Amino acid sequence: MNRVRNFLLATTLLMSTSASADIAVVVNANSGIDHLTRSDAVNIFMGRYRKLPTGNLALPVDSSTLKARFYRALVNKDLAEINSYWARLVFSGEASPPQQIASSDDVHQLVTQNMNALSYVDSSQVPDDMHVVLTLGE
Amino acid sequence: MRRLLPVCLGLVMVAMSVAAEARPLTDDGRLTFSGFGTLGLIHNNLDEADFTRDISQPKGAGEGWSARTDSLLGAQVGYRFTDEFDTVVQGISRYHDSGDFSPEVSWAFLRYRPDPGVQIRVGRLGWDVYQLADSRYVGYAYPWVRPPVDHFGTLQLTYIDGADVTFKQPVGSDLLLLKLYAGRSDGHVFIGEGLEADFDVDKVYGGHIDYETGPWRFRVGYTEVESNLDFSGDVPDQLDYQFDQIRAFNPYFNLTANGVLGDAFGFDRLKLYSLGAVYDRGPLQLQAMWNRSKTNAGGAVDSGFVSAGYRIDRVTPYLVYSQVETTSDGEGGSEGDFKQRTYSMGARYDVTANVALKAQLDRVHIQRPGFLWRDIDSDWNGGWGSIFSLGLDFIF
Repeated sequence: MNRVRNFLLATTLLMSTSASADIAVVVNANSGIDHLTRSDAVNIFMGRYRKLPTGNLALPVDSSTLKARFYRALVNKDLAEINSYWARLVFSGEASPPQQIASSDDVHQLVTQNMNALSYVDSSQVPDDMHVVLTLGE
Repeated sequence: MRRLLPVCLGLVMVAMSVAAEARPLTDDGRLTFSGFGTLGLIHNNLDEADFTRDISQPKGAGEGWSARTDSLLGAQVGYRFTDEFDTVVQGISRYHDSGDFSPEVSWAFLRYRPDPGVQIRVGRLGWDVYQLADSRYVGYAYPWVRPPVDHFGTLQLTYIDGADVTFKQPVGSDLLLLKLYAGRSDGHVFIGEGLEADFDVDKVYGGHIDYETGPWRFRVGYTEVESNLDFSGDVPDQLDYQFDQIRAFNPYFNLTANGVLGDAFGFDRLKLYSLGAVYDRGPLQLQAMWNRSKTNAGGAVDSGFVSAGYRIDRVTPYLVYSQVETTSDGEGGSEGDFKQRTYSMGARYDVTANVALKAQLDRVHIQRPGFLWRDIDSDWNGGWGSIFSLGLDFIF
């Protein structure tokens, strides 16, 4: 029985380390934010409540290249559903969607320059000057 | 409509070719432009009555096909002064009380957000009287061709000129929201055959509490509307003619059609109580809403709906049940009361991430014909009607 359990544990560990396709929610390494919960990330990226643990107004940034994967991992929705969700909030003047940035270099630049910015990168490619606050499995 | 059609088609082409989000018009991203629209086609099988989307529409969709009822176009310009201050102006062109597609300003407000949990808006605001009410013309935002007519069609106002304040407070991983608003407004509503009214609203005020937990969003809301109504049409004209004849013999007879109708309907003071629940998790979307509007004359309008949709790849089939019933304890009696229920099925197909195509069949059981229908045959007592609709919704 113990052997079976150890085997399962080992396989699980192996699988989780080799699965490099996860999405990492990142902030500036000096922002003072240690981690966020999934519901914090939903609140911020879906415009429900944009307050960071530091008390500041969160500035979420969508990265065009990873956007579809990110929202699939965060709320299990595709881009048409995300656009439909935002259509209601934008055209009732309630909230604005995250700023969208096309190039990952520009996302990197914005996050490293702004203490309140947060975005997402492929978890296998997290730059040193970004801090991972949440990892979303895919 | 002939002019709107090519414009809409052009915009659909534009929408399909660009990213679906507010486009910055300036390098610093402060000025943004975005819009929404619907091209809608309705087929009504009833020759006894014409179908409308809401009580602001003077003419309905008669037997056969019509593009008037649901087609619309809206555009929004936003400008951000600072992170705390911004302004939004939004206009819409749809078939409404003036009997044409004349555009009107539906939103124009200044917003102040001193904190992520506080928002204050001043100016012209959408009437957020119940869930989805302030986005009921944004077809791309919901699965249906139009929000359930039984529930949303009886709404008297589209916007208020005033202010609102919203407070948000996290409760663990849940979110509690309180919104309060007050203002004034006006509208023009079509109540029945030969009877319409100018709705001059001195005061409209209310609020709601939302509670968001996981995939659920609940709402409890209350609103009061204080207004002066000015009735017009054949009904008040004939009443006044009869009153004038009485006055010829009795100069002290002081009834007027406006006064009599105003007392009978009691629309000068409305109280709206509403409940709503939305469940949205992955592919599954459930909604249920209920509203009771009480009139000054002791009458009431009760309405509600339940809706379920499930997304499978790009297609979202859905089912809706809705109903509306008016009860009057005033002098109008039950003759003027209105009662119907609607069973709807349809599907939304997402063509691209900003264009959706929809088809919907409504089976309407009109138990007592009334104010959501136009050009009603005088000898018609109701029955079953079938409304088939096609909609092309887009955002740009």
